[in-house]
Parts: sequence; structure tokens; C-alpha cells
Amino acid sequence: MKARGIKKIWGYIAIAFLVLVSLWVIYPLVYLVSGAFAPGSSIAQLPVKPFGSGFTLEHFTYLFKRTDYVQWFLNTLYVSVLTAITTTVVSALSAYVFSRFRFTMKKQMMMAMLILQIFPSIVGMVAMYVILLRINALDTLWGLVLIYLADNIPYNTWMVKSYVDTVPRSLDEAARIDGASHFYIFRKVVMPVAKPILVFLAISSFSAPWMDFIFPKMVLRSSEKMTLAIGLFGFVTEKKNDFTVFAAGSLLIAIPFIIFFVFSQNLIVTSLGGGAVKE
Amino acid sequence: MENNILERDGSSKNKVIRTSVLFMGLSHIIYFKQYVKGALFAILEILMFISLPFTIGKLADMVTLGEPQPELPIKERSNSIFMLIDGVMVLMIVLLFVIVYIISVKSALYEYKVFCITGEITSNKMAVKQIFGKSFPIAALAPAVLLVVFFVIVPLVFSAAVAFTDYSSPGHIPPNNTVNWVGFKNFSELFGGSNSWTTALGRVAIWTIVWAVFATFTCFAFGMLIAVVLKEARIKIAPVFRVIFILPYAVPSVISMLVWTNLLNGSFGIVNKTLQQIGISGNIPWLSDPFMAKVSCILINLWAGFPYFMLLVMGNMTSISEDLYEAARIDGASVWMQFKKITFPLVIFQTAPLLIMGFTHNVNNFGAIYFLTNGNPVVADTTVTNAGGTDILITWIYNLTMNALKYNYASVIAVMIFVIMAPFAIWNFKNTKSYKEGEL
Repeated sequence: MKARGIKKIWGYIAIAFLVLVSLWVIYPLVYLVSGAFAPGSSIAQLPVKPFGSGFTLEHFTYLFKRTDYVQWFLNTLYVSVLTAITTTVVSALSAYVFSRFRFTMKKQMMMAMLILQIFPSIVGMVAMYVILLRINALDTLWGLVLIYLADNIPYNTWMVKSYVDTVPRSLDEAARIDGASHFYIFRKVVMPVAKPILVFLAISSFSAPWMDFIFPKMVLRSSEKMTLAIGLFGFVTEKKNDFTVFAAGSLLIAIPFIIFFVFSQNLIVTSLGGGAVKE
Repeated sequence: MENNILERDGSSKNKVIRTSVLFMGLSHIIYFKQYVKGALFAILEILMFISLPFTIGKLADMVTLGEPQPELPIKERSNSIFMLIDGVMVLMIVLLFVIVYIISVKSALYEYKVFCITGEITSNKMAVKQIFGKSFPIAALAPAVLLVVFFVIVPLVFSAAVAFTDYSSPGHIPPNNTVNWVGFKNFSELFGGSNSWTTALGRVAIWTIVWAVFATFTCFAFGMLIAVVLKEARIKIAPVFRVIFILPYAVPSVISMLVWTNLLNGSFGIVNKTLQQIGISGNIPWLSDPFMAKVSCILINLWAGFPYFMLLVMGNMTSISEDLYEAARIDGASVWMQFKKITFPLVIFQTAPLLIMGFTHNVNNFGAIYFLTNGNPVVADTTVTNAGGTDILITWIYNLTMNALKYNYASVIAVMIFVIMAPFAIWNFKNTKSYKEGEL
């Protein structure tokens, strides 16, 4: 009986601990939500008690009527969709070749990819700027896609290659005997089997541009070309503090992300534990 | 088919090498009668010859980086940075050409080997067919290779090169002025002086490592703690907690960091206002005191980073067999003993590689610092060096590039990041399945 009592106490302590952590986790998000609906503009005007100063939708109307918010959203969507598609196609193609063909310099190329993916892309920022300037891609969305795509290739090629390696070669050899072309085998035999990793890849390369700040800031100049991250950042600079507008704009982005993550958490747990990110 | 020029005993190997080195594809044409393949190689070499003046001009420009021409209008002056980047790109093209050259020689040697063994040469028709067979892998690989060469390798080489120039504001910014090669001057200024740059570099480098260690370790330990408590507490509402704990992972970090920086604002942030209302007066300098700001960085990063490790440990724990725990319970092991002897070692074994990847991620964790503190607060050397109290190397590089226009120093620091990251790159490489299985 005594052991059970101790266990019960531990149970209460555990719950108390989890509740405390939950409060800490939710804390900033509560103010994100309340800020989005609170009157006033800067953080200084925000009451300590969440929702303590009334309720308004003016920040949302302001976002849609007075700023390029919708345009920023569409730009970001355009960049992420294009990045996701091109990254998946290019990485899958090169991963297939690395996995199934033997050719000169293959070893060196694979090693180079592995070493390159560890260096942060900020390092080459100036050069990327000059290259984009030379090919007339500054202040364009496709220039941004080009940078993301190139940046994604080394790591993702490795990831997909490791997965394709596990697909039995007997599958493509059988198709080969039937006279199928390489491209046919790639498209109809190997890729369907590698679908899980490609979905993972598409999702991760889709979500990255929503949070990136550095490259849009470097590439994009005009307000109607901006992505959400820089647009939102512009509301809370050192010069002005429109925290409430920022909160409203952020909330609209955060909600779909939260819904997606909550629903796909089991997928995330298995892919993190199961080695989707391991080579 | 007969071949009177080459011996079958392998003694003509040098002859084949000499001929194919002399002109690309020549061996294919005169020895193996593979006219199409040989012609393709030859055309490539001819193109290279035609563009030789251009190539040499670009490379020469890279060496001189242009002369100052103050008498010309700005638009007509030579732009050193364009010269440098064109030079690097041309260098890459030359490198690709050399690789194709090597491939052509190897291919000729392969044909000769086939000839030595079989006494026959691959017919022109067969060779054409082979080229078509190879066109798929080449076409499939081309986009990846070209993009990586021009948007990853060229920028890295370029920034390594800038470390040896004086490309910086105010005196050396094209197109107004030219940039010059200065050797190791930037390195000696940054590493070897008693000036504020050396102080700043040491300070920022140490903080980068301290930050990366703490940021990774706290997130991992706390994530594991939460995962274990969620599992062991056996409470019905565990999934609710799990959904709550996933939130920081789901909210884009730009957003959550900017919310935190507003909440923690020393004078009008919500946190200090709340503390005042419950009777703790005096503004806590969360982000304005150099030491406090560092602690805040690590704590807020913990907020943002523990869910990832929690999910990771959860994923790993589900793969641990329940039999192990069953056996341990029968032997009378306490929950703590089970954790110490079963869960912890197994999870550590599984996640160690990701822990190291987490460290390298945090060394370059731009967002966690830049959006929370923007590198602030200002310390003694900030006005000169642009490095604030919480700046890590990567945010410092960003400031030097975007605000101070000290590209040369930024590049030296980038080289330092190379040095910090190199052991991890090697480690990462040795840990791949391909390396272990002898493929690499």
C-alpha cells in the first residue's frame, strides 16, 4: 500500500510539472492571440491580462486593406510551391543516378555533396547576390527559388539516395529486361516505392521559405515582391512597433502550420525515430 | 574489324594515352573508328580553344582585379567584384572541362582494354548507342551539378577568396573603387592584434561554442525528460500535453522569436509588467544586460527547441521492446532504474548522431539569435566591430555583410566557421552508411 501511495504522489508531481511546462509553452502564444485582437498598436499598450482591453478586428482589416499582406502570402506560396516541386524533382533524379549508375568521379561528387551541406549558405551571400545581379534575377521570386533549390540539393540528394538504395535492384532489372528506358524505370518503378521520402522532402522544402528571412531580404526589394517573413518583420522593427498588426498577420500563418503539425505528429514521430533524417 | 595500329599485348597503352591527351577524342577517331563519339569530344575541345582568349582574359582580370580609373565615369570603371566572380565561374568551367578531358582519356583506355581482350573494337554504331544509354544519367544529373557548382561552390570559393582582399567600406567598394589582393592582412588584423577586432573575434567565437553546447544540451535533456514523464506518468490526458508541447515546433520560429523579444522588452515588455503587478519591482534586463541576454537566448531557444528532441526521443522509445521493461519489472527494478539502464542508453545510442547534427545546427542558428536579440546588447567594442553581446559568428557575418559592408572580415570569419565545422563534416562523412559499407 505504501508503494502505491508513493506512486500516486509521483503521479501528482508529474502532472504538476507537465502543467507548469504547458503554461510556459503557451505563455507567448496567448499574447500572440490576444495581441492580434487587442486595440492599440505597440506592445507597450498591451495589457498584462490577456484580452484585458477589449476586442477588435481592425488589425485584420488593416492587413488586408492597407498593406500588401495578401500579395506577400501569394508570393510566399509561389516560392514554396515552386521550391518544393523543383527540389523534389531535381533531388530525386540525381539520387536515382547516384544510386543506380556507376560513373567517373561519382565518389568525389558524393563526398563533395556531403561536405557542402554542412556549411551555412549565409557564407556565400555576397556571391549569390552578385550572381543574381548578373543574371537579372534580383528582386524576382524565381531568383529566390533558384537559391533555395541549389541550397537544398546536396542534403536531399543524399537523403533520397539512401532511401533508393534500399529499393531492391531486382525491380528495375526486371523492367530493364522488358525493355523499359531509364526514365521509365525512374518514373514508374523506383519513384512510386520512394514516395514516403519524396513526400517528406516536398513538405520540408515547402515549409522552409515561410520562415526564412535572410535570402528574401537579400534578393527582394519592392514591397509587392516581399515574402511574409520580411513583411511581418517590418511591423516590429526598432523604429516602429506595430505589435498588434504583426500578431494578427502572424496568427493567420501560424494557424495552418499548427493544424498541420498537430495532425501529422504521428508521422513526424515515426519519421524522426525511424530514420528519415539519418543517412 | 581489324586494327593494325595497336598491339594486342597492352604495349600500346602509352600511345593511346598520348594521342588522347594530344587532342580530345583523337584516339577514338583514329584507333577505334568511333567517329561520332570522337567528334563530340573534339568539338568540345575546339569550343574550348575558340573561347581561350575570353577565358584567359577573365582569369587575368581575376588576378589583377582591375586598375583604379578615377578619370572614367563610374559606370565604365572596372568592377573588381564582377571580375572576381566571373573569374571563379570561369575557373569552374575550366575545371569541368578538365574533368571531361579525363573522362575522354579514360574512355579511350577502356576501349583499348576491350580491344586487348577481345581483339575487336566497339563499332561506331555501338558507341553511338552507348552515348544514348549514358544520356539519361548525364541529363538527370546535370541540373543538380550545375546548380550546386554555380550557386553553392562558386559562392563558397568566392567568399574564401574575398578573405584575401580589401573588399570593404569605405575605401574599396566597387564600382566607385577597385578591390585589391592583400594576402593574409585581414587574418593578421583579426587574429594577431591587440585591437578591438581581435577581442571581439575571441569573444564571439567562445560564445558561439558555449551557445551551441548549451542550446543543444538543454533542448535534448529537457526534451527527453518530457518524453519520459509523458510516457511514465501514464495519465489519460497525455495526448493533450503532447499537442501543447508540439506548438513551439509548429509555429514558425521567426514569429515566436519576435513575440518573445517583445514580451521580454525591458521597459514595456509584458513579462516585466506582470512581475511588477505581482510585486516584484525593478525591471529585469532580460535582453539588455550582456549576461542576462545570453541566458535569455538559451532559455528561449529551449522553449523553441525542446519539442523536436521530445518527438525524437518519443519516436525512439516506441522502438524499444516492451519485453525489456517487463523483464526489468519482474527483477524488481524501479522506474528510475529502468530509465537509467534501458531507456537512456538505447535512446542515446540512437540519437547521438542527431545530437551532433543539432550542435552544428546551433552553431549556425541565425534565427534564434537574430530575431530574439538582434545580436544586442551593445558592448565595449560594438561600435567598431558591429558585434553585439549575443552575436554568434553567423549573425556577425550577416551584420558585417549587410550593415557594415566589411566583406573582407566577414569572409575571414566565414573561414573560421569552416574550421569549426570541418571536424563535424568529416565525422558526418564517416558516419554515413555508404562510407561504412565501403562505397566511398
